[in-house]
Amino acid sequence: MSKKLYVLIGRIMDVPVTELNDNSSPETIPSWDSFNSYLLLDELESEFQTEFSIDEVVETKNIADIKKHLKNHGIVLDD
Amino acid sequence: MSNEKLSYFMNKSKSVKDATFDKTIKIALLSSFTINGFYETLRVKMSEHQIDGNIHVGAYNQYNQEILKNNSELYNFKPNLTFLMIDTRTILGEIFYSPYSISAEERKKNIEKKFLELKNLINIFLNKSNSKLIITNLHVPTYSPYGLYETKTEYGFHFMVSDFNKKLETEFLKNDSVYIFNFNQFVSKYGNDNIFNIKQFLFGDIKISLDYIPFLADEFLNYILASLGLTKRCIVLDLDNTLWGGVIGEDGFDGIQLGSNPQGNAYVEFQKYLLALNQRGVLLAINSKNNLEDALKVIDDHPNMILRRDNFSCLKINWNDKVSNMKEISQELNFGLDNFVFFDDDPVNREFMKSSLPQVHTVNLPKDPSQYSIILQNLKGFDTLTITKEDSERNQMYLEQQNRKELQSNVVELDDFLKQLELRVSLKSANEFTIPRISQLTMKTNQFNLTTKRYQEEDIEKLANNIDFFVGCAQVIDKFGDNGITSVYIINKQNKKEWIIDTFLLSCRVMGREIEKAILAHIISDARNNNVDKIYANYIPTQKNKPIENFLSNCGFKHEKNSWVIIPKDDFKLPDCIKLIEE
Repeated sequence: MSKKLYVLIGRIMDVPVTELNDNSSPETIPSWDSFNSYLLLDELESEFQTEFSIDEVVETKNIADIKKHLKNHGIVLDD
Repeated sequence: MSNEKLSYFMNKSKSVKDATFDKTIKIALLSSFTINGFYETLRVKMSEHQIDGNIHVGAYNQYNQEILKNNSELYNFKPNLTFLMIDTRTILGEIFYSPYSISAEERKKNIEKKFLELKNLINIFLNKSNSKLIITNLHVPTYSPYGLYETKTEYGFHFMVSDFNKKLETEFLKNDSVYIFNFNQFVSKYGNDNIFNIKQFLFGDIKISLDYIPFLADEFLNYILASLGLTKRCIVLDLDNTLWGGVIGEDGFDGIQLGSNPQGNAYVEFQKYLLALNQRGVLLAINSKNNLEDALKVIDDHPNMILRRDNFSCLKINWNDKVSNMKEISQELNFGLDNFVFFDDDPVNREFMKSSLPQVHTVNLPKDPSQYSIILQNLKGFDTLTITKEDSERNQMYLEQQNRKELQSNVVELDDFLKQLELRVSLKSANEFTIPRISQLTMKTNQFNLTTKRYQEEDIEKLANNIDFFVGCAQVIDKFGDNGITSVYIINKQNKKEWIIDTFLLSCRVMGREIEKAILAHIISDARNNNVDKIYANYIPTQKNKPIENFLSNCGFKHEKNSWVIIPKDDFKLPDCIKLIEE
């Protein structure tokens, strides 16, 4: 599942998956602007069939945060 | 229809290069809210139709300023089409949330004021720009603080917004430069809860959720395709399991499904929607492997058949392969293959068509016939910006064409045939009645077109009002009926001694009848009467205008440098078979 997450983020930010890690964030990825972060959350919601709360959206600073939110929603990311 | 997510378009647009296609159009996008992603989506979708997308995106909620300011980026960009997206929240302001903080009378005044502001803004835009304007109407909210009492309230919240929409539509109904996109209906179709995403709104003032931007772009693309004249003109239909259920050759006249039961009703429903398209000018044709007699018996005599023989401009009911039939239909109707849509229930036939003739739009039909009419209703590409008298009478004209062809096969000499047609060419100048059709012909005529210059209605109007130009058109009538306005010519008379033919075109419908020579004879005699020494003309080759390639040399024009020239003083004969009428 982690791979699925990375592929999705890589596609939206238009960066190779190999360049992504838990610390990837708007600071480390230039294309991660505010619009792309809406787009990312939007597509995460439809991909994982869930909905993030407004607090979760605000608190999302990097990929580790996204993983944490998904886990809280009961979505298990292997590897 | 859009199946891809917005991120697909965001990425794909990076690989869309500028200036790769012949077809170009300049689009301006203005809005009262965030429309990020729209630019990218539209660019990709336009490139899929081989259109160069030159798009200007107005700054966030700056549409007022861009329209009011002289020399704004918008005006310097000189768009052909401008889309203005406004939303109910922005227009109503605080009243959107508290409509019942004021009286009915005040609500009414408020709407009048808001409407007047927008109307003035639109008129300013029209004065400063030649662009057509497409403006979204307002979404009528589904919520009301009054709840069920809403519809018992005088000039209530929902009524206010509907009234605004009605005013907008009425005001610009007759204005050819302004089109209202029914955004309210768009929301109805996909659902308010889908189109509006509260989080996206709170975070980024996004009022059309990101998932639905590709769908809205599809709607806007229709205006672009229509404006460029890239319109589908003919639906080609299979018969068995497409227009009726079952196989006529096996199940027989009484065994096929057509009305009488749910499956049979699905085919009747499909035919009813086809008929409506036919009535607005979309031609229908049949491409079916069948015994002609069996099929015609159903078409002529089946009590539940909606489409009858007269609804079809071309019948290819035989045992030839469908691709050969399609090519013949294209030749007989004189349209390029990209003007055709193909409906066939058999996936093998569809695959054969797609791989052999990719220009034809082959529709992916599901096995379930109940979906046919829905698919047809959602099919894009038939839209035109105007529906002229010629459009609604097109079917009749093509039937007359069939009669002419029958006459032609009985007559040996072309001259005799043309004489028997009793051709009359009525010449008209550009005026409010003819301008929409003149523009339409310049936009979509490809084959018999010397220069293929495309002119929007506004352009034609300008040329018609310019004393240095003459814009003329011709209506062609024969003993089988009226072909309508089917030719356009534009003469540049700036140099009093040397005229230039700017545009000369003939609809494929009336090709091969010496009409072009009759019109040229008129232009030459007009030049002679005005003591013009020379008439210049150019042939600009395109992929499609080969039929007019030798027209100038055949008419006695001589090649001179990069142009063609004829001396009006010299004799030029009006073809015997044509009577010319000047209006």
